Amino acid sequence: MTVALVVAFGLGAVVIALTGGDPLAAFGEMLTGGFTGSGLRNTLSRMIPIVGMALAFSLAFRSGVLNLGGEGQMLMGALFGTMTAIVLPGPGPVVIVAALLVGAAVGALWALLPALGQTKFQVPLLITSLLLNYVARATTSYLVRYPFGEPGAAFASTVAVPESNRIPDFPFLGGGISISLFFVFGLVALLAVVYRRSVFGYETAMLGFSGPFARYGGVDVERKTLLVMASAGAIGGLVGSHLVLGETYRYIDADMIAQTGFAWTGLMVSLLAANRPVAILLAGFFFAGLQIGGFAMERATKVSWQLAEMIQALVIVAVVSRLGLTWRRRRKLGEEVGPPQPEMETAHVGEV
Amino acid sequence: MLAQLVDMSLWESVVRALIPVLLAAIGGLICERAGVFQISLEGMMLAGAFAAVAAAHVTGSALAAAAAAAVAGVLLSLVLAFGAVSRGGNAIVLGVAINILAVGLTSFLLPQLFGVRGSFQPEGGVRILRIAIPGLSDLPFIGPVLFNLSILGYAALLLVPATWLFLFRTQLGLRLRGVGERPLAAETLGVSSTVYRYAAVVASGVLAGLAGAQLALGNVGVFTEGISSGRGWIAVVAVMLGRAHPFGVLAACLLFGFTEAFGFRLQGQGYPVQITDALPFVVTLVALVIARKRFRRLLDLTASTV
Amino acid sequence: MTTELELRGITKRFPGVLACDGIDLTARRGEIHCIVGENGAGKTTLMSILYGLIPPDEGEILVRGEPVRFHSPLDAIRRGLGMVHQAFKLFPSLTVAENVIFREEPAKLGWIDRKRAVARVQELADAYGLAVDPTAVVEDLPVGVLQRVEILKALYRHASILILDEPTAVLTPQERDRLFDVMRRLRDSGRTILFITHKLAEVMSVADRITVLRNGKAVAELDPATTTPEEISRHMTGRDVEPVRAGAPTALGDVVLSVRSLTVRGAHSLPVVSDVSFDVRAGEVVGIAAVAGNGQTELIEAIAGLREIESGTVTLAGVDITHLDVAGRRRAGMSYIPEDRHRVGTAAAASVSENLLMGYQRTDRMRRGAWLRRRAVADHAGRLKDEFAIKVSGVDVAAGTLSGGNLQKVALAREMAHDAPLIIAEQPTRGVDIGAIEFIHTRLVAARDRGAAILLVSAELSEIQSLATRILVMFEGRIVAELDPDRVDEAEIGLHMTGGKVAGA
Repeated sequence: MTVALVVAFGLGAVVIALTGGDPLAAFGEMLTGGFTGSGLRNTLSRMIPIVGMALAFSLAFRSGVLNLGGEGQMLMGALFGTMTAIVLPGPGPVVIVAALLVGAAVGALWALLPALGQTKFQVPLLITSLLLNYVARATTSYLVRYPFGEPGAAFASTVAVPESNRIPDFPFLGGGISISLFFVFGLVALLAVVYRRSVFGYETAMLGFSGPFARYGGVDVERKTLLVMASAGAIGGLVGSHLVLGETYRYIDADMIAQTGFAWTGLMVSLLAANRPVAILLAGFFFAGLQIGGFAMERATKVSWQLAEMIQALVIVAVVSRLGLTWRRRRKLGEEVGPPQPEMETAHVGEV
Repeated sequence: MLAQLVDMSLWESVVRALIPVLLAAIGGLICERAGVFQISLEGMMLAGAFAAVAAAHVTGSALAAAAAAAVAGVLLSLVLAFGAVSRGGNAIVLGVAINILAVGLTSFLLPQLFGVRGSFQPEGGVRILRIAIPGLSDLPFIGPVLFNLSILGYAALLLVPATWLFLFRTQLGLRLRGVGERPLAAETLGVSSTVYRYAAVVASGVLAGLAGAQLALGNVGVFTEGISSGRGWIAVVAVMLGRAHPFGVLAACLLFGFTEAFGFRLQGQGYPVQITDALPFVVTLVALVIARKRFRRLLDLTASTV
Repeated sequence: MTTELELRGITKRFPGVLACDGIDLTARRGEIHCIVGENGAGKTTLMSILYGLIPPDEGEILVRGEPVRFHSPLDAIRRGLGMVHQAFKLFPSLTVAENVIFREEPAKLGWIDRKRAVARVQELADAYGLAVDPTAVVEDLPVGVLQRVEILKALYRHASILILDEPTAVLTPQERDRLFDVMRRLRDSGRTILFITHKLAEVMSVADRITVLRNGKAVAELDPATTTPEEISRHMTGRDVEPVRAGAPTALGDVVLSVRSLTVRGAHSLPVVSDVSFDVRAGEVVGIAAVAGNGQTELIEAIAGLREIESGTVTLAGVDITHLDVAGRRRAGMSYIPEDRHRVGTAAAASVSENLLMGYQRTDRMRRGAWLRRRAVADHAGRLKDEFAIKVSGVDVAAGTLSGGNLQKVALAREMAHDAPLIIAEQPTRGVDIGAIEFIHTRLVAARDRGAAILLVSAELSEIQSLATRILVMFEGRIVAELDPDRVDEAEIGLHMTGGKVAGA
């Protein structure tokens, strides 16, 4: 991983230099901006969607299910969660819980579409989940412009969520950090235990290692696929709902489309952490800091913040290309390394 | 109403929508035949579009723009080839990372190089050269649809039979198919799977890069962030639907081109833009589901007569 | 006779293993030279070195007196070597002719001359009695024909030395005899054949000379005219080997598995298993003998719940399991040692412990509610590791690092420990060494003696003959014969397997 980081930042430096910037100054701003002072608070805040989406991705991916539909699951959940918080009468906490439940449910349903496509029609989920992102963008965009939209608004947006129905910030830490962060930590702990200690964690891990083996051993592959996809979608829906109820307080179409980047950052964080929840927390902190640092860097040095996004993708490329550590789960080698075994052919390079 | 929606100019826009997707999809099918699952077409297309616009802005030459697009596609394709072929990494995960990388790279460079955000229009109004073939372009119906295209448009259409001939009639094509199916077997006979896979991935880089150039400079002459807007993914689906066969892939691309053109027509009739945006993806999804079912039904029918 | 090929002091080390230890070998022009040895004796490694797949650490290779150094199989091919691998190296979607001419295509300016390709392949096939249609697509062909294609590939490349790696493992006795005819024809045309096998009867019938490998050393060179199978076997194992005798079966118990009119459809919706009915009783081993691709795999998958059943019923210990999922079938009393131990029987990336847990994770012994009992899981793994002598430093090691025999022991241990009324054993000893074979056979017999019903599928007729109480022969998806292993010989079983004796046909 060290190698991957060096390669990624090295290439980043080259790009900065080529476009006329000062790499060292830029990286300096990036690190101080992301990991110190008020930047640190913003980084913690940004961890909520990043770690959340990473956990969602890890749930499916460690089971051998490559869910690329995080974007759509997040958007659909966010919009319906928001609408619930806007229209549902009642005491704030109750409405918030109801809104989050609706957001989770809609995200789960959206994720179940490609899952059912795979289990019922053998259409690969990898591709359908991705295609549905575009459908989700168009659908949310339509809904927020017409039926759910604020009449007469300059840009497509819902009305604001009533103040009582917003997710509160932590009373300490100087404010600005939603209590959602607390739930993210809880989710990390929960999944860490579930992955390692539960029957579900065992069965889905085996499914990820080898589908035929799991099926042969009595694991209900179809049901597990639907279950992990629904759970991933539910987390996606929660993250989306948080972004509105805890951050912007109204669903703004253009804004939310821009926030779909969290789904991809989360995906990369989960890959970097080899789907392990605690590692996801650390990698999520790091990537969130890079992005927040990126904004600071842009303000100070005019090097645009998307550099952070680029470096993150380069880290993943380097890690997947096995420069240094492999992203797969590492195992001690047994001493039984022997003469050539009957080799197996694979149709594709590096299948999942 | 249908007559208003389906007329000759609709077919012109079908072909226009078809071309970038077809270029990328042919690249994807060559990779598929070589045994590399290529899902970074979207990113290579995006990078190609950016490079084309940047080169057009600097040089004012369409040729340089196309060359730059191809180079951009190749550079990204080399990342995939190195990671997946040389290092044995997961091609799907790499493809995803490359797509993200392309988004990051283009949205980083856009303000960095041109000081703008969102979109950029190069100076000089450079376009990929469009040629009306004398005589043929005057034919009724077919003329404007098929014989008044950009150079890349002709290239895309000609590549379909050319790819077929290459794959099924030449030595290199046979070896490529062998490598895709049983790399170790090909290896033992002296055909390097590494070389063929690199070549296939680089070819897809060239084609997807050019697809980006066509997208940015074919009609409008502008780069917008996320200009590929899922077309690279549609190309991946076209390879699947067309079962990596050149004519099958062409048919799948036609379906997409028709849907996009039809969507624009609906938009012109006052339907919301979101329908236009979603239609190609919905149709592709439905096609995927139907294709699976159809294969199975077809098999059942043939089974009863054997 | 002149020397065609000479190996001098070939040595190859792998971490912890000396796979080839100074092997000398001389093969003459126009001879069939058998190389025999147990699995793990170094046969495969030696042939991989000879064919340029892996470089030797020491030693040299001489072809027709000339020292050569192969960096790849291509070098070996150019020097006139040809190899027919155990797992065929063919391209399924290409035609026979395309497979044969691959990389050596008759062509003009890069365009393949397809007429000439077909004619040339046909010519070669006719010359050596290798009946095959050059325009057929390989994936539609049976295994016996695929082997002919592999031989054609070598001949097309002007091979003068042909290496056949366990070629008879996939053949019926009749196909095997035809292959031997082809081999003799090739020998008489002046070619050298290196025939790798561990079946002594074949060695005795076809060899001109025999080299025995043991523990990476060439321990003997023998002349078939003056040696005996017993002597070869002694050299192979370094001791006298008693084949596992099944022994007299105890009294048969109740019917455990009952299959009635089972029909299963395959890839092209054609019935691959048609109207199959049979019973397996407690305390008996029912062997299924069939040539690869005659429905035995699909039959087992259907019983195991891995393949959809078109019609018919399967009853296990009185429970109708036809519509149950795998977990339900396992609860009803099924355990299953699958043929493909690398993909189905184990998960390479999972630990040995995780592999041993599969199928037990929902038992009360292993879980408390939704949570695994970690102590119980560790005890279970440790116990099976010891009881089945799985050689591994610890149960947390990835299963993928184990050797074939050890990996099979993982699957065997896991399935046997269920003490299930029904054990399905599919090719349980394929590719494992003689020691492991003995171990596995002893275990299966012991399970039978405690009253398990065993359904055994094996391509090794000798295995079926020595273990089975009854033999069912499958041909084209049907059971065509039920035989008593004590009253038939291999030839008769083989005849049934090729449809030669279809009742009422």
